Amino acid sequence: MIDFLKQWLERKKRGGIDIGNLPNPKTIGKQPLVTSRLIVLDLETTGLNPAKDQMIAIGAVAINNNAMPLDDQFDLILRRPELDIRKTVLIHGIGPEALTAGHETEDALLHLLDWMNGDPILAYHSAFDQKFLEKTLRAELGYGENHIWLDVAELMPAFFPTANKQRKGLDNWADTFGLQASARHHAAADAMVTAELTLIALNKAAQQGIHTLAQLSDKLRYQRRLRNMQRF
Amino acid sequence: MAAASQDQNRPQNTRAVMAFLKNHPPFSNMEEDHLAHFAEHSTLRFYANDEVVLSTDDGVAKQFYVVKQGRIRGERLNSRDDRTETTFEIGLGDCFPLAALVGERSTRTLHRSVGDTFCLSIEHDAFVSLFTQSDTFRDFCLRGVSSLLDQVNQRIQSGAMASIGSNFTLDSPLERFALRNPIVCTPDLPVRKAVARMHENSVGSIVITDDNRHPVGIFTLRDLRTLIAEEKAPLSASIRQVMTPNPCSLLAKENAFAAAMLMAEHHFAHICVVDDENRLIGVVSERDLFALQRVDLVNLARTIGTATHLRTLVSLRADVSRLVDSMLAHGADSGQIVKIITTLNDVTVRRVLELNIAKNDPGIPFTWLAFGSEGRQEQTLLTDQDNGILFTTPEGMTEDQVREKLLPFARIVNDELAECGFTLCKGNIMASNPKLCLSGAEWDDWFVRFIDASTPQNLVYSSIFLDMRAVFGPGESLHELFQTALKRIGNNPLFQKMLAGNAFTRKPPLTMFRSFRYVNDGKKHALDLKRQGLAPFVEAVRVFALANGVGAANTLERMDELARKGVFDPKDANAWKEAYSLIQAIRMRAHNEMLENKEPLTNYIDPDDLNPLDRRILRESFRQAQRLQQKLELAYQL
Repeated sequence: MIDFLKQWLERKKRGGIDIGNLPNPKTIGKQPLVTSRLIVLDLETTGLNPAKDQMIAIGAVAINNNAMPLDDQFDLILRRPELDIRKTVLIHGIGPEALTAGHETEDALLHLLDWMNGDPILAYHSAFDQKFLEKTLRAELGYGENHIWLDVAELMPAFFPTANKQRKGLDNWADTFGLQASARHHAAADAMVTAELTLIALNKAAQQGIHTLAQLSDKLRYQRRLRNMQRF
Repeated sequence: MAAASQDQNRPQNTRAVMAFLKNHPPFSNMEEDHLAHFAEHSTLRFYANDEVVLSTDDGVAKQFYVVKQGRIRGERLNSRDDRTETTFEIGLGDCFPLAALVGERSTRTLHRSVGDTFCLSIEHDAFVSLFTQSDTFRDFCLRGVSSLLDQVNQRIQSGAMASIGSNFTLDSPLERFALRNPIVCTPDLPVRKAVARMHENSVGSIVITDDNRHPVGIFTLRDLRTLIAEEKAPLSASIRQVMTPNPCSLLAKENAFAAAMLMAEHHFAHICVVDDENRLIGVVSERDLFALQRVDLVNLARTIGTATHLRTLVSLRADVSRLVDSMLAHGADSGQIVKIITTLNDVTVRRVLELNIAKNDPGIPFTWLAFGSEGRQEQTLLTDQDNGILFTTPEGMTEDQVREKLLPFARIVNDELAECGFTLCKGNIMASNPKLCLSGAEWDDWFVRFIDASTPQNLVYSSIFLDMRAVFGPGESLHELFQTALKRIGNNPLFQKMLAGNAFTRKPPLTMFRSFRYVNDGKKHALDLKRQGLAPFVEAVRVFALANGVGAANTLERMDELARKGVFDPKDANAWKEAYSLIQAIRMRAHNEMLENKEPLTNYIDPDDLNPLDRRILRESFRQAQRLQQKLELAYQL
């Protein structure tokens, strides 16, 4: 992680990030979960319709070695309606020189892709975040690569099938484990709670002998099939 | 405003971690910058129920943890019955492992999660930088350790302070303090040249050595001042004529504490450090030892020892308690602190005597005796007078005539000591009591009667008069007297058994079910740490010491000596020393708190006021006292 940050800072010092030079998204394989860096992400949007609505903020943390280091996070506000700064962003947590307000959206998204390093992305109801993010990336950067996406809303019932049978929201899962978001509907705060749930699920996964990304992905796929069968 | 805008620039999750920390000490009192440093360098981890968070096999502790959710249980293996026992349980906002981190060792307690648990941790680098930068954080970590004081190895603890905090530690060997390649010269060098050499090297002292590098003298700036002021010799004289011959020296492997005590006792500012063959290796000055201290021991001892008025002595007592405070803060152990207090008390007593002799010399050579805790060198801030006089009867005088001269003198000394804070003895065990101002022959008679008769009063006396030492005046006559008394006790099994029986009545304050037994006199939940806690050790150890010809009066020294003589198993001796020191440490901490709150000093504490860990340690210490008493029971078939 430290090495990665160093390299990243090196590249940053040399100037802006080149779109042709972004890290390639990883593919699902036998990489051990313990040593894989995972991105846990949450978006704030102006509404629920990816065709119409816009992304306002991105909050993300990383999980590495079954732990969440706070010096490896991404807290980005794309547009603040109350401030009416169009095409201007505030970037948090990626070094003091980036802290000055007034980065272009394009620039910020390049930083995000660079920071994500092509690592697997987890989100709660990930389909929603995936649609918004991919749409924005395509529109702003013409970027079309596919990251691995895993849904924490599937992850939790897969490992804790008896908990939360009726209620399915992030808040319900947080309540079940006594977690509390530090701010309501704040991308970064929600990402943190999602990551905390992920840590709990990964702990359980290790106990059940699930050690690689492929095993985890299989388990989720199996659960999905099981659920679909139950529906009929 | 600046702080607020800076806060806005921090990521939400960093701010959230800071907000969490702010609800818990020590973070609640830490500066914003230091909190941010902690938050930005922290890592969040999850542990399911009953998972090992930190193991004794993990090696030297590297991470500092804060419980963010859930609980952590400490487990230790009890080697005696091979059972695991829970030593503590901590929760939200609590930190661990303090002692291991500060002591730079692995933890001795297995840390296990209880329920779903999240912990924030920082790596060693971040810990060290916070430890050095934040006073609040450092105090917290060290205080956390000092409450574990005698459970953890104090040597490791103070060694750690040298490496991460300050350079101050009294347990470090002198070679770490001593100036290497000290400035030296031969005895025939003219004073002027020697001083020039000191000046060139900006040092305050020069050691005069012979051809074999053995130190033969020392010359300091203070000596130069006297030399010039009193016109003792011309600057062209050889240094041999003006140096202080036979300078005080210590081996390099001895610790700073030994040097500090030597300086405090003799008012030296410099001590030569030598190797096994008495060759000079370095010089250590009081400045080297006390560079970081507010009140320095050597200087304080010197100020007391040269005070010219009683009122100065009285006012210096406040400095003594401040020194004890800072010693406690620096992690000195309770054994060292009682010795420091005793040394400073001795200096005060001597100075009061010297001032009175200068004013009104009774003209009789005498030795000032200290009994009881002062005799054992185990005084704390709460101390009363237990003293007496041993005099030599000048030819042509009767003992009563001598007393006529000495008693009024002793009366004044007792009163003045009372002004200095040494409470007058309620039982009149004081030098101004005609029964305790005796010649050698009279004292010997007194001991014969005392050892041969087993009256209840004599048993009370045993705890006072069998722990004695000379504070002022020649010590040989006392040594002789005491050796004779030791021989008598050694040959008198009945007296020993009587002493043992008496010691056995001092039961440690534990009930059959290992809960605390409180004092009965109206104080509902009070333990008397002196009479119920320390006395069982002191009394039992005294019986063994006297029966086995151990001349030392200090309880810890007696235990060492008894272990050397094979009377105590070394492991037992260590456990008992630790337990005894721990009770002493808790007592001293309580005294300092009472002083801070401007309450009168007492030896009572309510165990409910202690933190759970201290309570456990206290209980374990009392259990050790029970074991010591069992040994007594066995040895004397009580």
